[in-house]
Amino acid sequence: MAEIKDFQCTYDNSAGISGEVTKGLGLTFPDAYLHHETIAALSKALKEHDKAAFCELPFCHTVEAEAMGGIINYGNELAGPRAKEYICTAPEELLDLPGIDFSKGRIHEVLLACKALREEGEHVVMQVSGPFTILNVLIDAKHVFKGMRKKPELMKEVFWKLGDEILRFMEEAKQYGADLISYADSSGGLNILGPKMAEQVVEDFTYEFLKKAEALADDKTMILLCPKTTFALLGTGRARFRDMMLSGAMAYGEACIEMTGKAKLAGQMCIKNVGYQLENAVFKEVVLE
Amino acid sequence: MSSKEELLKRLSDGVVEMEEDDVAEAAQEYLDAGYLAFDGIMEGLVDGMNRASELYEAEEYFVTDVLLCSDAMYAGLDILRPHLPEVSGDDKVTGVIGVVEGDTHDIGKNLVKIMLETAGFNMIDLGRDVPLARFVETAKEENAAFVCLSTLMTTTMGGMETVIRLLDEAGIRDKVKVMIGGGPISQKYADKIGADGYSQNAVEAVKLAKRLLNI
Repeated sequence: MAEIKDFQCTYDNSAGISGEVTKGLGLTFPDAYLHHETIAALSKALKEHDKAAFCELPFCHTVEAEAMGGIINYGNELAGPRAKEYICTAPEELLDLPGIDFSKGRIHEVLLACKALREEGEHVVMQVSGPFTILNVLIDAKHVFKGMRKKPELMKEVFWKLGDEILRFMEEAKQYGADLISYADSSGGLNILGPKMAEQVVEDFTYEFLKKAEALADDKTMILLCPKTTFALLGTGRARFRDMMLSGAMAYGEACIEMTGKAKLAGQMCIKNVGYQLENAVFKEVVLE
Repeated sequence: MSSKEELLKRLSDGVVEMEEDDVAEAAQEYLDAGYLAFDGIMEGLVDGMNRASELYEAEEYFVTDVLLCSDAMYAGLDILRPHLPEVSGDDKVTGVIGVVEGDTHDIGKNLVKIMLETAGFNMIDLGRDVPLARFVETAKEENAAFVCLSTLMTTTMGGMETVIRLLDEAGIRDKVKVMIGGGPISQKYADKIGADGYSQNAVEAVKLAKRLLNI
């Protein structure tokens, strides 16, 4: 079997939220993170500032966890929403958390912002978090790692509980018009888990999960993978790349838009790397084995 | 009954093998047999943690492994530490550590703290998402020799430079070394903001601290 390689996050092409981006929008923080009108305005301002081909939503990785009961510090214009304190102290407690109600709260506002941006003709990348990222808000990571070693069956159950919620979020995002649904779980990357545990996660969860996520791709929707996930799949022999020719050299984001409807899964680059150019006009579809 | 050497080995092996309950049991047996708590900590628990660091450096162990080893070490420490003779902590060098405001990723920070504690430093852990002024206040209150700042996010990196400025404004910059680390951090960034050092991982952080403090 091939070895799992790591992908180094850089994402230094996107400026992130800053005074420069928000100037003139009349936004107040953290209020701007809470309402669909301001979420949409902020997303569009970021797109224009970064000269990206798409709008990104949301701006943090806490909406799913918050919708399951997580406690969030909404932050300010400099630092966005993040976890405040953990609500669970044992993995067993995670199984008792409520399912996500997509009709209320910040997650609903994010979906409404998506719909509004699509109606304005924008392409929208809905950034969906994987289980490790969601767990980071809910419980100290050491309980997760210990659980994986001592109680792997229980943790598999936890991953799938979260996985089912993530799939529901993806379905909702699709219904609200998101054309690009991005899946990332960098908190569960190779550099943190190590090769053995990273492989265990692919076998127990990621591969089967992505089989289900892939089924959501259609002529209007593509699923994007964080390259850390792509490499974990390639390294465990659970996926391969298939080269597809683009109409010409273009930015990765533009390529994803062009290939929507033709490819189901993308994952050769980080979507946050907005300036990354596919000079050779080759798009690499991720094909699950 | 087991000999002292056998119990020390059980403590050390238990840490390396991440067996929290075994370590706690061995620590209790060790105390019941009347052996010195100090030796149990240094030659048992710390020895095990040092072996875990070597495995980490050799890329046989990974972050998750070392965190679990440290849990086993702390389980033993909880039992042995109350039996140490009363000594002042004056001889230990104190460091303040935390993840800068705006960021909650603390796995790397926890690992650095564990390694520095194992190497004999007295570490004051401010946790994650720490208001920048708290680093300075704590360094002052605790008479710290160094401050370790961590972040995984590009959006919060700037906080590190602010801490350095605040240390300067508080008039203690020349007494406190500043070490930085985390995903997007580099030596170049450390040079740019005037930090005393950057380390790429937890093992390097210990070497850096010792070098900066001439230990």
